[in-house]
Amino acid sequence: MNSLATLTLAQEGFPAAMSHLTLAHYLIVSAIMFVIGLVGFLTRRNLIIMFLCTELMFQAAGLALVAFGRYHMDFSGQTFVIFILTVAAAEAAMALALVVLLFRRKESLSAEEWKEMQG
Amino acid sequence: MILAALILIPLLGALLVAISPSGSSRSIAMMATLVALAVSVVAAVKFDYGQAQAMQFLAAVPWFDQLGITLSVGVDSIAGLLILLTTLLGPICIACSTTAITDRQKTYYAWFLVLQAAMTGVFASRDLILFYVCFEFTLIPMFILISLWGSTNRKRAAIKFFLYTFTGSVIALAGLVYVAWHHANMSGGVWTFDILTLKDSADNMSPTAQGWVLLALMAGFAVKVPLFPVHTWLPLAHTEAPTAGSVILAGVLLKLGTYAILRFVFAFAPAALVEYAPLLATLSIVGIIYGGLICWVQTDIKKLVAYSSVAHLGFCMLGMFALNGSGVLGAVLYMVNHGLSTGALFLLIGMVYERYHTRSMKELGGLASKMPVWSTFMVFFVMASVGLPGLNGFVSEFLCMKGAFQASSAWGSGVWNSVGGPLPGATVGNLGPWYAFIAGTGVIIAAMYLLYMTGKIVWGTLVEPAGHGHGHGTDAAHGSNGSHSTLPVDLNRREILTLVPLAALCLFLGVYPKPVINALTPAVSQAVRTVHENAATTRVPLATTHTPTGAEAHP
Amino acid sequence: MLHNLLASPVFAALAQHGDAAAHAPEAHATTAVLGAMRHAPSYFLLIALLPFLTFVLSGLCAAFRVKSKLPAWLTVASLAGSFLLTLKLFLTYFTGTDTAAVHVYGFEWLSFAFQNAGEKAFVSNFAFYIDSLTTLWMLFVTGLATLIALYSSEYMSADLGSGYNRYFAAFNLFVFSMSCLVMADNLLLLFLGWEGVGLCSYLLIGYFYKRPAAVAAAKKAFIMNRIGDLGLLTAIFTVFVVFGTVEYEKLFPMIAAGVDGAGNPISGGWVVKLIPLLLVMGAFGKSAQLFLYTWLPDAMEGPTPVSALIHAATMVTAGVFLIARMYPLFMADPSHTVLSVVAWGGAITALFAATIGMAYYDIKRVMGYSTVSQLGYMFAGLGVLGSAGGVFHVFTHAFFKATLFLCCGAVMHGFAGQLDLRKLSGVMKMKGWLICGLAMVVGCLNLAGFPFTAGFFSKDMILAQAFSTPCTLSGEHASGIAGAPFIGWILLLTAGMTAYYTFRVFFRVFLGPKEFEPGDEVHGHDDHAHDGHAHDGHGHDHGHAPAPAGHEHGKDHHGSHGDFHPHAPGWAMNFVMATCALLSLAAVAVYFIHTPGSHAHGGWVATMVGNSPAHVEAPHGGTFLGMDPHKVMYWVSGVVGGIGIMLAAVFQLFGRKHAATAPADKLFGVIPGLKSLHTAANSKWYVDEIYDFLIVRPLWVLSHIFHLIDQYIVDGIVNLFGAIPRLAGKAIRPLQSGETHGYALGMAGGLAVLLVIVIALSL
Repeated sequence: MNSLATLTLAQEGFPAAMSHLTLAHYLIVSAIMFVIGLVGFLTRRNLIIMFLCTELMFQAAGLALVAFGRYHMDFSGQTFVIFILTVAAAEAAMALALVVLLFRRKESLSAEEWKEMQG
Repeated sequence: MILAALILIPLLGALLVAISPSGSSRSIAMMATLVALAVSVVAAVKFDYGQAQAMQFLAAVPWFDQLGITLSVGVDSIAGLLILLTTLLGPICIACSTTAITDRQKTYYAWFLVLQAAMTGVFASRDLILFYVCFEFTLIPMFILISLWGSTNRKRAAIKFFLYTFTGSVIALAGLVYVAWHHANMSGGVWTFDILTLKDSADNMSPTAQGWVLLALMAGFAVKVPLFPVHTWLPLAHTEAPTAGSVILAGVLLKLGTYAILRFVFAFAPAALVEYAPLLATLSIVGIIYGGLICWVQTDIKKLVAYSSVAHLGFCMLGMFALNGSGVLGAVLYMVNHGLSTGALFLLIGMVYERYHTRSMKELGGLASKMPVWSTFMVFFVMASVGLPGLNGFVSEFLCMKGAFQASSAWGSGVWNSVGGPLPGATVGNLGPWYAFIAGTGVIIAAMYLLYMTGKIVWGTLVEPAGHGHGHGTDAAHGSNGSHSTLPVDLNRREILTLVPLAALCLFLGVYPKPVINALTPAVSQAVRTVHENAATTRVPLATTHTPTGAEAHP
Repeated sequence: MLHNLLASPVFAALAQHGDAAAHAPEAHATTAVLGAMRHAPSYFLLIALLPFLTFVLSGLCAAFRVKSKLPAWLTVASLAGSFLLTLKLFLTYFTGTDTAAVHVYGFEWLSFAFQNAGEKAFVSNFAFYIDSLTTLWMLFVTGLATLIALYSSEYMSADLGSGYNRYFAAFNLFVFSMSCLVMADNLLLLFLGWEGVGLCSYLLIGYFYKRPAAVAAAKKAFIMNRIGDLGLLTAIFTVFVVFGTVEYEKLFPMIAAGVDGAGNPISGGWVVKLIPLLLVMGAFGKSAQLFLYTWLPDAMEGPTPVSALIHAATMVTAGVFLIARMYPLFMADPSHTVLSVVAWGGAITALFAATIGMAYYDIKRVMGYSTVSQLGYMFAGLGVLGSAGGVFHVFTHAFFKATLFLCCGAVMHGFAGQLDLRKLSGVMKMKGWLICGLAMVVGCLNLAGFPFTAGFFSKDMILAQAFSTPCTLSGEHASGIAGAPFIGWILLLTAGMTAYYTFRVFFRVFLGPKEFEPGDEVHGHDDHAHDGHAHDGHGHDHGHAPAPAGHEHGKDHHGSHGDFHPHAPGWAMNFVMATCALLSLAAVAVYFIHTPGSHAHGGWVATMVGNSPAHVEAPHGGTFLGMDPHKVMYWVSGVVGGIGIMLAAVFQLFGRKHAATAPADKLFGVIPGLKSLHTAANSKWYVDEIYDFLIVRPLWVLSHIFHLIDQYIVDGIVNLFGAIPRLAGKAIRPLQSGETHGYALGMAGGLAVLLVIVIALSL
């Protein structure tokens, strides 16, 4: 049984220079990206910044998927990420359009202006 | 195929209504319901009455093969009769909506046709899931009909109607699925939802399990009937619904519950049914008397008739829980007869409401002098509803009470022992003379409240709502004031035409019920026999499983 | 296909007949009654169907707003046809030596059989079982109906074009229902007729539907009848359970053999007590006996011809018919328990109603109470094992009571609805009223039991039997009725009272000084026949009101001879009154007619009864003060009747100067307590009030309580269940702040908590 830390990604023709990079590295980068996104989303009030933060979290998850896919030699992970990127692009377009509309309504980008869903 | 046509014709009609201009929706709906009626009459003629207990006009399309769910239809004489009732009420309801529904006609007629398709589907389906889907689907059109075209309190009534009956049916679904699961277990994992197949396996179920199945199924179906004490949605829904909605509600929707009890509780929980029949019959009797007395103190005539449904359906349920031929035959006839006479009463009340915009007995009275034709019909249908012999109500009421009266193994023993053995007219069962006698007081109460209403509304000195009186013209040409300008003082030809078929049927079923009874007896007899045979094989310790020696020995 | 539909009834019928042959016990026929059933051609169904046809035609007349007397003539013609057919039936089948019942088959009504379902097949056809009892009944039903239809053609003419068609439709429906009731070949068809006559009674009592009193009376009649009907219905169920059939044809042989449908003996068991008791409940409801009587006097709100036909001659005797029809079952009980109930019920009612009749001022209601009282006589007659006497009294009563009502109706018709005997006097002496007065005399003499009238003989038969039936209830000759002689004494007392109140009406209204005060029904010359439309404001629009004179007596009091002219009866009414009077005189003849081979005491009627299952060997043994009741009762009842008439003459006629005051009134001042007794009797002994207090009010309150329970408890629980999710939602609603960051923080926090849990678990 190999533990995560000792198993290298270099198994089948992976460039030698990269061979010391393990799965853990990728996951750590992904986690850092996610936390940055999360903290940004929680702390900022600007809609565009918040949106960027969600994208950051999104891509963090994508990175983890790619890493796992490579690690297991199962390319569903990569395939899935391609889909996510496409959907994310469409979503970004939608979201920015919405932000523009919201801005037109209140002349402000602050998320606090919008609390109509209050119960 | 003919059954599929009966379901599809109204659906197609609904589609047509939806895509054609609003002005023509009524005529399209009328055409669709008339075609459906014609098709169902053709079906009634083609039906093989020699095999009335067998499912006929079979058709099936696979749906979810893995679970054994198919879109399969077929009717025996009981279901066939109820489909006839449904298709008959269709055009009548469309006709009575002519002047009553003026806004959003397209939506109204489209949903109405969908409702008819769903109701037909309930009676036609041979598959549990198809049955259940149709059973629940009736709620949506009805919800819309009540909440959009009802009277003042319509929102609340619609929501209550929907949630109450829906909650009940979900529990019933659990029971139905349990039965299918039980069957799958017994037959090595092969799932099926075919009603006839499931029926044969129910007798392997333990009495306790049957008890739970009974409880679950009754939770759904008793609400629909409605049996006391789960009836309170009914008066509200009836009172608030538009006239056609009330007619359909009383005429067909309540019958979904009684029909489902006859089909499923009889088949899936026979032993438990035999055991709990006295309890259920007692609830029915409470409904008869309690509902009847409440009718007596109503001031809103529509509410009075609504509550009378609680009392009437109590008779129907009493007959059914007698679990013998007479009782069940009476119950099935009651479903039809109540649909005709109470449906007609709602139509009549609707006609008055369209003219006076009130249903209060305090504001209306003595209409006989102003609306003699209306009054004649009113008295006729009141008498049908009271159970006057010679009209339809009596036949079914008599049979239900007779069934309950006979259904006792105590006849010929105990206090009823004259000298020797069992009595020739007694049948197997757990009820007895007291049930019929106490229910019989309901007949007196029915006379009390219905004649009270007739005395107030039809007879007496003319009372009209303030501000009405002379403003209303004496005929169609002169009566041009306000929204009801098209209506004459008394009934117009269209209104008479909607009532005449119902009156004719009431009379026919009272004077010569023979064809209908002949068609029903094989099916009823089979249902009853299955209950007692299956109950006997379950070996519940009951004192009712012997057959009197004086029983009929037919070749 | 369709032929399947038709094939199965035939099968069911065949199966049923085979079954009956197998099950019917050997008929130990002691009389010709249970001889071989004969079959009559089906055109005899027309006896019932002709009136039904006319009902439909009259309905069409109403639909097409016919304004002529067409429905009346149709009715008279068809009822005459029915009568002639009945007569033919009688002459064809019941004048020879074979008096077995005749069967006329119509169609299957309510019949079914369940194969292999362990249930006895039920058969109830639309078919007639006609024996001599039935024929007797049908003869006077159709005969009187024809005459009264003729009378009505004139009496109701004021309503031409409005209620005329409706009246005759209901009238015909009544005759149809009554025919079904009497001629039915099974108990269920009898029940159809039974409820049918109830409906017609409802429609006709409520004929003047604008009067609240008429509407209330109609409703009351229907509901009180229904109480009795429940008894009858239960009896039918029990008969079916015990005997396995409701058809007389199969029922009577079993009862005659004393066995139930399974061949067990019934005598001494509950069967012969319970079923008769339930039948009595039905009979007492329909015939207004004991505590179920209150609807009948109120029923006088209907048009008078209706009162004459339905509420005097025919429908109210249906209860008597029912008991006579099922008499074998009553007789199957050797201790005669239920017959004792019938006898006592009848006797008490007879006395009770007579006391009210003595105190009432409304002449039509006096006749109403008199009907209740006479019905009591009939029941007492049946109860003391004198079925012939009871039925004979039905027969004679039908004619003379119809006569009396028609005369009262003529008075009411002529004096604008006046019925108060304190406001009418000397009517017979007025122009055009002689026939009416003479008819009234005939009716009164009959009712009072004046010697050698028909009423005298029929009443005498009952009285004599009441005394001669022994009181022995147990032991070897247990064939008596509990307390039989006391029933005789009660009836004798009632006979005297009857004579008194009958002639009280006659002496005050028809004799004495000529004086009258018209009723408050005000009409023009062409519109004077309304039976009391006055209170609805209908009558005020047209016609000319008599000048109000005598204001000191209140605004309703008019001078006796204003410009009101009493309207004497026309030819049709006079003809019918005269015919009825002659018939009630002629009815005495049947007492002396004996068909060949019959020796029954009581003549033709007794022979007819004796040839039917209602036959009974009248018991002997009792005495009247040591003498043979059958010999002395002629004298005794004659004397009692005479005393009653004398008292009436003394107190109501001699020395009476005005309509309003009679010598009897002085008695109230003289004898203390009599006044209050009179008031109580005049208030019907407050029975209606007692009902109201004991039954109606509590039920009304209970209904309201139920309604509240339904709204607040039964529905309250439902709403409570509905409220649970709503309240829960309200409780957690503040969590939804609406701020994006709040939700995000919640998500992050949730994630953190999950992480902590996962880590903690994996450690």
